[in-house]
Amino acid sequence: MVTERATEFDPSKIKDQALRDLCSVLEGVRGKKSLVVDKALSGPLGLIAQSSLLQATQIKNTPKIPGQDLEHSLFFVPRRTPLCDRILEDEGVFGDVTINEYPLYFIPLEPDVLSLELDDAFEDLYLHKTYSSIFNSAKALMLLQQQYGLFPRITGQGDKAKKLLDALLRMRNEAAAEDASTSMALAPSSIIENLVIIDRETDFVTPFLTQLTYEGLIDEVFGINNSHVELEASIIGSAMQNPVEATGRSVGAPPATPQGKKRKVLLEGSDRVFSDLRNINFSAVPGILKKTALRIDADFKKKDDYKTVSEMKTFVTKVLGPAQKDRTSLSMHFNIAEVIQKHINTELFEKTLEIQQSLIAGYSSNQQHELLTELIARGASLETVLRLLCLYSCINTGFKPKDFDLFRREILQGYGYEHVLTLDALEKIALLQSRTVAGSTAAAASRTNYDYLRKPLKLFSENVNESEPDDIVYVYSVYAPLSVRLVQCVIQKSAMAQAARGAGNLNPNSAGWKGFEDLVKNVSGKTFDEVQRGEDKAVRARMILDGQNDKKVTVVFFLGGITYTEIAALRWIAKQEDSRRQIIIATTGIINGNKIIQAATTDARTKPRQV
Amino acid sequence: LSGKRGIAFDEIAKSAFEEGRGRLATQLLNYEPRAGRQVPLLMSMEEDEIALDKAIESTDSDLVFYVLLHLKKKLPIATFFRIINDRPLAYSLIESSARVMDTELLKDLYYQDDRKTDGANVILRESLAQENFTTRIDKLKLASKLLKDSKDHLVDATALEESIKLLNIQESLERDIFEENFVGLSVNETIFKLTRLGFHPRANKIRSEFKMPDKRFWWIKLRGLVAKREWA
Repeated sequence: MVTERATEFDPSKIKDQALRDLCSVLEGVRGKKSLVVDKALSGPLGLIAQSSLLQATQIKNTPKIPGQDLEHSLFFVPRRTPLCDRILEDEGVFGDVTINEYPLYFIPLEPDVLSLELDDAFEDLYLHKTYSSIFNSAKALMLLQQQYGLFPRITGQGDKAKKLLDALLRMRNEAAAEDASTSMALAPSSIIENLVIIDRETDFVTPFLTQLTYEGLIDEVFGINNSHVELEASIIGSAMQNPVEATGRSVGAPPATPQGKKRKVLLEGSDRVFSDLRNINFSAVPGILKKTALRIDADFKKKDDYKTVSEMKTFVTKVLGPAQKDRTSLSMHFNIAEVIQKHINTELFEKTLEIQQSLIAGYSSNQQHELLTELIARGASLETVLRLLCLYSCINTGFKPKDFDLFRREILQGYGYEHVLTLDALEKIALLQSRTVAGSTAAAASRTNYDYLRKPLKLFSENVNESEPDDIVYVYSVYAPLSVRLVQCVIQKSAMAQAARGAGNLNPNSAGWKGFEDLVKNVSGKTFDEVQRGEDKAVRARMILDGQNDKKVTVVFFLGGITYTEIAALRWIAKQEDSRRQIIIATTGIINGNKIIQAATTDARTKPRQV
Repeated sequence: LSGKRGIAFDEIAKSAFEEGRGRLATQLLNYEPRAGRQVPLLMSMEEDEIALDKAIESTDSDLVFYVLLHLKKKLPIATFFRIINDRPLAYSLIESSARVMDTELLKDLYYQDDRKTDGANVILRESLAQENFTTRIDKLKLASKLLKDSKDHLVDATALEESIKLLNIQESLERDIFEENFVGLSVNETIFKLTRLGFHPRANKIRSEFKMPDKRFWWIKLRGLVAKREWA
């Protein structure tokens, strides 16, 4: 694949490239074709290409036509491996298929978010420990390096993050061996300043908490997959009658959807109404909705200002069109906000939040136990309860053995004995443990110590301005995600040092973990700070070619998944840093607490096979 | 030669091997940084364990699995287990693929390593996948027995015994109360359903059988009555 040299960081190019690759791959197969897509792939693929495009390349969606002689082409995403060839050989079909590969790695969800959209990355990394997502992440980051130059500095935290670093360094050597003449391309980048890798394992607490931003709550209440949310037709509202103009492209659903049936809606930043709402704390949502309503109303009223025909024409295309679009979007978001508000007002939600916030604050009391058993008795969802139990265990270094047995019993009697498997899985990932295991010297040395970190990193704070936030605490109302605090230790040193006070005289130009080495020791896993150098000649050549930008890019990579709240917090930082740097968020996929628990309950959900 | 870029050590090594100088070939291959080229060659030279280690170093799980598949076919199972035992990535790959494709292999693996809890979990999963009621119970008994032997998971062993008790009660409920499903519900759900249907003595009996704390029982009862719209 030819990678072109770039002078600025532009994720949309990745999308264009992916689309071009897909087209060339498909055009390689002549004539009409039917496409059979792996279910796990169809979501991510939908973000690259729409069905209209696929039709243009003569694809008809007809799965299997028995009895007909067809040519078979097989496309491996993202790559073909000897293993697959071997399996095809063993099945005796190797000779009957044309095999090709489609190198799809990062998918730009937004201009500042790149995701591999690997749904099983969490299980792969922390439960099964098969690490294929580390290899895929390294490949994806390597592609960025081939395009923009080496990351001059790679700073990170976590055992799996270290494995990713090793894989990345190794791939650099492999690429150098591949072609000696490309050594120029592998000089340190002058566009990118650094890569920060955060391992999900360093901070499990954040995803277990209920996200309190607008987009975070949509994810908690409805669930967002591949940027799409499934909504009842009644919520989508007037968008229904006109699916083409609807906010968010509607995906392949017929216009006449029967009442009560769900439809997928794409949530993206190009929708003005949504982009104003997504990153704010939910408590500020009604205010923004009202403001937007007033603005749209004013836009419509402007028509009186325009007198001449040409003025009217401009008005209709420039003002009325977008305003119409905003209005449809606004009515949908009013409906969504209403459902969320109802959800928030339930007693179960309030009690859940009460437990979470007292745990975060570091209060430990019998009252939490009481509330937890009450939630179970009142039939709260298994996800809700297990998230709270894991939260307790992660913050308090496990449960006392007596309580541990008590809660296990509550879970098994409340939700079914098959969850012996779930509890076992959570214990293996060190999410739900007894103190006898979690408190052992070996385990204690490798776990994140929230008790210690709470103060110096200002993880908990009760004074936060939710409508005009002055700190990332706002995304959880009282808690600043540790994961994002770690990123701040690397790129916002002086602001963090003020909070930490202990680290007094800190050179603002120092890089890596400098100044925070002692704090990071209390975070799970290995710490690293690697500088990638190139030959002087190559570096100079690179600089001449790219020009020297003052504003450089920081790539923040979350291995094992990132939450919408963390994205919002990173965007808040990006805004502050806007004059100095551009922040690009990259990840294996978007995650939340429910998805983690669902990964652990896979075995318990085993069902008799239908014959 | 080391330190120079762009030399295809794999090809030099290949020639060396073809000349019959296997040792030299292996040594030369150490300089080849591209695992994708190194590993297949090592396998053709029958340097299987080195091939496996090089594949593991590459962090390419597919490549590792490729070597493993080859080894599993070639070697007696005990030797195969010995090879993967001190290589964590190889072990996890075999473990996770066997979970879906070959549970017998998984049981052998856990038996060999004396991982009784994991062995019991495999059987428990089989029990869940079982349509036939009697087989389902038998598998649960087997799993529970395994856990009891291991001694450090007595709580789980008791839990599985309780689950057998519950299944038996639920089956007899289904016989007595027509057209209602009980098998597969949790203890709490069973009590809730019985209350909603108005079978209070039966609900009470289960409560005492499973030593349910009062507070929990009253919450469930309350919910059941509300669902029944019986405001007492």
